[in-house]
Amino acid sequence: MSRLEAKKPPLFISEPLTKDKVSHSLSLLSGILRSCYGPAGRLKHLHNGVGGYVCTTSQSSAILSSLSVSHPVLSVLAASVQNHISRFSDCGLFTAILCCSLIENLKSLNVASCTVIKISKHLLGLCMDYLKSEACGCRVAVDFSSVENLLCLVRSVLTSKPACMLNKSEVDHLTMVILKAFMFTVPCHVETDAVLGKCVIVPVKGGRVADSTVLPGLLIETPEIQLVKPLTVKKTCSSMIKIAVFCVSMSGDCFNHEEGTITVHQGISLEMSELDQLLTVGKQLVNDEVGLVVCQKVIHPSLKHYLKENHVIVVDRAGLSLMEPLSRMTGSKPIASIHLLSPSCYGSLKDVCLESFASKHFVHLIPKETVICSLILCNRNETAWDELKRACETAEHVLQLTIKEPLALLGGGCTETHLASYVRHKSVSLSTSSLKDIDCSQAQYQLVADGFCRALESVACSLKHDDGEVLTDMVYGHCWFVPSGFPSVSNWSDVVSKCGCGINGNTENLNWRLLQGQFGSSVIQGCPKVPSVKVADFLTLDCFAAKCSGLQVALETANLILDLSYVIEDQN
Amino acid sequence: MAFRDVNARRHIGLQQLSSLAVAGRTLLGPMKSCKFIVDESTNQSTLICSAVRLIESLDLTTAAGQLLNETIQAQNKEFKTGMSTLLFLAGAWSNAIVECLQQNVPVSAIVSVMTEGLNSCCERVQCLQIAIHDVNKELCSSSVKPNAFKNKTHQIGCDSLLNPQISLYPQKDISAPEEVIPINSCSRQENDCNFNEDLVSPLASFGSIASLVKPAGDRSTSVISGSDVFASSCNKQKLTHSRYFSTLGTCNFSNHQSSFQGYLSGPSADPCECYGLGHLAMALSHGNQASTKLLQSIVKYQQERAEYSGSSQFNIAEIVTCCLLGLPESYSHVSPGFVTLVSPEQATVIKYIEDKPLRILLMDGDLSEQYRHLGFNRPCNVRTILEHPRLQEGREGDLWLSSMLDILISFEVNLVLVKGNVCENLMERCIANSVLVIGSVSRDVLCAFGEVTSAQPVTYLTQVNAGCVGSGAQVELWKVCDGRAMDLGELVPVRIKARGIPLLTAVLTTTVASKMQLIEDQFWTLAYRLHHALNDKKVFLGGGAVELLCLSHIQTLAEQPLEPANKNAMKAFHIPWLAASATEYKSVVLPALASGWKQYLSVVMCNTAKAASELEACTLVDHHLKKAADCGSPSAYIWKEFRRGDLLRGGSGPFADHGVGLNVYDNVTAKTEAWRRALDLVLLVLQTDAEIITGPKRNQLLKSQVSSEFMFL
Repeated sequence: MSRLEAKKPPLFISEPLTKDKVSHSLSLLSGILRSCYGPAGRLKHLHNGVGGYVCTTSQSSAILSSLSVSHPVLSVLAASVQNHISRFSDCGLFTAILCCSLIENLKSLNVASCTVIKISKHLLGLCMDYLKSEACGCRVAVDFSSVENLLCLVRSVLTSKPACMLNKSEVDHLTMVILKAFMFTVPCHVETDAVLGKCVIVPVKGGRVADSTVLPGLLIETPEIQLVKPLTVKKTCSSMIKIAVFCVSMSGDCFNHEEGTITVHQGISLEMSELDQLLTVGKQLVNDEVGLVVCQKVIHPSLKHYLKENHVIVVDRAGLSLMEPLSRMTGSKPIASIHLLSPSCYGSLKDVCLESFASKHFVHLIPKETVICSLILCNRNETAWDELKRACETAEHVLQLTIKEPLALLGGGCTETHLASYVRHKSVSLSTSSLKDIDCSQAQYQLVADGFCRALESVACSLKHDDGEVLTDMVYGHCWFVPSGFPSVSNWSDVVSKCGCGINGNTENLNWRLLQGQFGSSVIQGCPKVPSVKVADFLTLDCFAAKCSGLQVALETANLILDLSYVIEDQN
Repeated sequence: MAFRDVNARRHIGLQQLSSLAVAGRTLLGPMKSCKFIVDESTNQSTLICSAVRLIESLDLTTAAGQLLNETIQAQNKEFKTGMSTLLFLAGAWSNAIVECLQQNVPVSAIVSVMTEGLNSCCERVQCLQIAIHDVNKELCSSSVKPNAFKNKTHQIGCDSLLNPQISLYPQKDISAPEEVIPINSCSRQENDCNFNEDLVSPLASFGSIASLVKPAGDRSTSVISGSDVFASSCNKQKLTHSRYFSTLGTCNFSNHQSSFQGYLSGPSADPCECYGLGHLAMALSHGNQASTKLLQSIVKYQQERAEYSGSSQFNIAEIVTCCLLGLPESYSHVSPGFVTLVSPEQATVIKYIEDKPLRILLMDGDLSEQYRHLGFNRPCNVRTILEHPRLQEGREGDLWLSSMLDILISFEVNLVLVKGNVCENLMERCIANSVLVIGSVSRDVLCAFGEVTSAQPVTYLTQVNAGCVGSGAQVELWKVCDGRAMDLGELVPVRIKARGIPLLTAVLTTTVASKMQLIEDQFWTLAYRLHHALNDKKVFLGGGAVELLCLSHIQTLAEQPLEPANKNAMKAFHIPWLAASATEYKSVVLPALASGWKQYLSVVMCNTAKAASELEACTLVDHHLKKAADCGSPSAYIWKEFRRGDLLRGGSGPFADHGVGLNVYDNVTAKTEAWRRALDLVLLVLQTDAEIITGPKRNQLLKSQVSSEFMFL
C-alpha cells in the first residue's frame, strides 16, 4: 500500500531584502570578496575540512564556484558574476563588490525602488557614455605597435593575484612569456575575418617560475618515449610529416556501448576481431606513409607495436583539449571511426622532436606556420600553480579582448574614483528635462547618485587591507594610498608619492582629501581633468571591455535584487 | 558553505606551521636523531629520520598542514634533499612573522620585505658558489696531503655541516682489515632514560649499532604528544655517547670495510683521477658514510664506463636499489646488473640456466589472463554460448596457460621480466619448463635491458615476434662475497646481467627491519645530491657558510638608510603604494627573516653537539658575524674561515685539532629552492585570512559545538 503525502504549500517571503538574515549573509559575502581584492588582498583556503587538496586563492572565479549559498538573493548575485567571469575572465571581484555595495547603499534610501532603479540606470548611461567618449579621463588607448601598455595590462593581472607567489623578476619574466604566447596566437596574414589562435597551457608543477616558457606548436606528454633515442620520422616527398589524428578510442574495446546483449558462439573472440580491424587500419596508415599517429584516447599495444615496427611515431592519450588545436594546426580532420579511413583526413607537420621540462617528457609537434602555441607553466607548489594558471588564462583573455577594442582603463582604484567624481559633477548640473524623463526630483536624484558614487569609491577603498588612508585628489579624481605608520597630517603632499594607477606623481598640489572622510564628499569644481602624461613606466591598467561589462552587470544585478518583492520557495 | 576567520593577531595557520615544524628540529643537520612514530590505535611504530617520512606519518587535516605536506612532497619529488631545512625554516619564519604581527606590521609589508629580502640573499650568496670543476681540483689536492690524518682515520666526520672537515678515508685504510672503527658502545639496556640519546647516535654511519634501535613498544613516544621528549635530549649527555669520546678499546665490532669493495676492482693506483666525483660525493654526504661508500663505487664504475662510451659521468637513472634484510650493514655494496629477490622455487630454475646466454623477454604490463592494457573497458553485455560441449577440452584458463607457455617455448625465451604482477599458475608452469619469470620490475630496468639485449617491451605475449626477444642476458644466484650463508627468510637474491649493461644495483643490507626504509632513503638522498650538484655544475660552500653570509647580508640591508621615496625601491615592488609602507618596516621585518637562519644554525650546532645550548650557539654566530663585519668583506672572511676549516667552530673543544680534512659542500638549487618554498608557504598562510569549508562537512559543522567559530552563508 502506498502512502500519499500532501504537498506542502510554497513559502512566500515578502520584501526579502529587509530580512536580517539576508542582509547579514550579504554583508558577509561582501566582506569575503572585499578582503580578496587587489595586490594586497587576503587569500582564502578552500577545502573540504577533512584533509585533501587545499585551494589557496583570492580569485572570484575559484571562490564563487565553490561557494554554496543558501539564499536566492545571493544565488542571483553569484550567478550573474559568474556569468560575467565566463565571458570576460577579469574584473569578477570588482563586479561582485560593486554589486554588493550598490545593494547596501541603495536599499536603505528613502526612495521608491522603481525610482531608484530608473535613476541608477540613468547614472549607468552617464558612465558608459563617458567611458566610450574621447574625452574620458580614465582610459588610455593601447598602442599595439609597442609592447609597453600590453605589458602593463598583463602585469596588472599577475600582480593582483598574490597567491601566485611571484617575486618581481618572476612577474617580469612571466609577463613577457604571456605576451609572447599571445603574439603567437595572432595570425600573420589577416584575411577578411581574422581568428585568434589558441595558447595551450602545459602544466609543469614543482618547477621554478623562471623556467616557464612558450613554444610554437603543441606539446603532448609521453611517459613512454625514451629520450636517449633520437626520433626518426618518415617524411613525405615535400619534406612534411603526414599526421593522422584519431578522436576515437583505439584500445580495442570499442564495440557496442549501447544497451542490450550480444550473443557470440564460443571460440569467437570479439577482442581478436576488433584487434584485426585495428591492425587493418594500421596497415593502411603505413601504406599511406603516415609518419605520426596521435590518438585522443588509448591505442592498443599491439597496434602501437605494429606501427612502431614500421617507423611510425605513435602518441596516444593526448586528451580532448588538444584535439581542436591539433586539427587546426595540422589541417587534419579528427578520425572518429576505425572503419572508415579517408586519406583526406590526414594533416601535415613540419617536424617532430622531443622536449623535456623538469621530469616530464613531451613530443613537440612543430607546424609550418601556426597560431597555436604551448605555454609551459611552472610554479613551485600545486595550489600556487593552479592560481597562476587561472591568472595566465585571464591575462590571455584580457589581451584578446584588448585587441578587439584597443583601450584600457586606469587601475589601482583610479577609474572608480574618477568616475565617481565625474558622476558627482554631472549630477549637480542635471537638466530639468532629464529629471522629468526619469520622473524624479533633484533631491532624489542626488541621493541615488551619492549612493552610486559611494559604492564606486568603496570598491577603490577595498584595495586597502592594512591600516592607512585612501585619498582622492580634487584635480584628476584619482585614488591615492597612504601607508599606515604615517601620522595623520593635514598636508597630504608630504606622504603620498604616486596615485593608484601610477600615472600621476606628487608634483603639484592636487588638493587631496580623504575618500571616505567625515566631511562628506565635496564636489570637484568642474569635470575631473585628464592627466597630461599618458606614458609612464609601470602603469596599472585594467581591461576596458571587462570593466565596462562589470559595471553594467553589477548595476543591473543590483537593480534586479532591489526590485525583488517576493521570494517563493517550493518546500516539497 | 562555512567560513572561518583565521586572522587575528595570533594567526592560527602560522601557529600550526610552527608547531608541526618543532617535531622536525632533531632531523636537521648531519647528526639526525631518528624518531619512532607510533600509531596509538594499532600500536605499530615506524622509524623515521627525514622530514618527508615524518610528514607522511602525521595526521594533517588542517589547511596549513596540508599545504606543508604538499610543499615538502614537492621538494622531495624534485630534489630528494632539503626537506628538513624546508620544514625547519617554515616553522622558524612562522614564529618570526607572528612576532612581527604582534608589533602591528602590516601583512603587505611583511610579504614584500621578506620576498625581496630572500631574493637579495639568494643573489648575494652566489659568491659562495664554486664550480664542480674547481671543487674536484680542491678536493683531490687536499686528499693527497699526507699524514695529517694518518692516525685519525677513525674520526669520521659526522658533524660535517658545522665543522667542515670529514677526515678523508684513504684507500689503503679501506682495504686494511685490521683497522678497527670505534663504535658507540652504549645501549639502551644500560641506560634506559637515554632512549632518545641512543637514537641520536649516528645510525647512518656504520650500522653495526643497529641493534640499539629495536623498539620496546611501551618506550616509544608519539611525536605529536611527546615532542618535548625529543627536545630534552641533552647535548652534554649525547657527547658521552659520541664515537669521538669513546676510546678505541671499547670497540667490539670488527670492520667489514674490505667487503665494501664488492665485485668492483680494488683501489686504483691514482685516487685523484678516478675519485674526483667520489670526493665530491663524500663532501656532499654530510657524514653519511655508508651511502658514500656505495656511491663512490657507483661513480667509479660509471666513470670508467664513461671513458670509453662517452656517456655522462654520473647517471642516476642507471641505479637501482635492492634491499636485503638479514645481512649486516657492512655487506652493502654495489653490483653491476640487476639484483632482485625471487622465491626459492624460482631460484631452482637458475640451476639450469646459469652461465648460459639467455633469451630475454620484457613485458610492460601484468602477466595474467585477466590483464588488459590501461584504457581497455571490458564489455559487460556479451554472452557466450557453447553449442557443442566437448568434455575432453580443458577449462579455458588451462587453454590460456598452455598457449602462453607455447609462445615462450617456441621463441626459446628463458627469462621474462614483467613490470606488473605475474599469474601464479603461469609462474609454476614456467618454473617447470625452466623459464625464469620475475615480476614487479621497474621501467628503468626494463629499458636498460631493452637497450643492451635489443628486446622490445610487449604488453601481451600474443604480440611477441622474433624481433621482440632479446638475447645475451645472464642470471646467477647472488652471493655474498665472503661466502657467508644468508638467512633472508623466504626470498633468494639473484643477479641478472647482460653484456654492456650500464645498470648498477646498490644492494642495501641491514639486520633491522625498521631501518631498511631509512637506509634506502639516505642512499637516494646522497645519490640525488650528487646528481643535482652535477646538474647545477656548482655547489655551495657547506658547513653553515651560506647561512652565515645571509645573516651578514641582512645586517647590511637593514642598516641601509630609510628612504621612503627611494626610486629603486619603488620599482622593485611594481606597486608604488605598497613599496612605501614596505620600506618603513624594513627594520622590523628583515631581522625576522634573519632569525630563521640564525635558529637554523644554532639548532644544527646543538644537534651536532657543537654548542651546549642555543644561546651558546647564537653567541658563537654573533661572534662570527661581528668578525665578518669588522673584516670589511664578509664573503672574504667566510671563504677564509671555510678554507681554514674554522667556520662556526668553538675556539676550543674536542674538535679544535682535527687536522686537515675534507670540506663540506651543499647543493645550490636544492638549498635555495628549499628556502624559497618555505618562505612561499609561510607567506601563503600569512596572507590567508579565512578558511572556506565546502562540501558535506558544512552540515556537520552547522550542527557541531564549534559552529559558533564559523559563519554560514
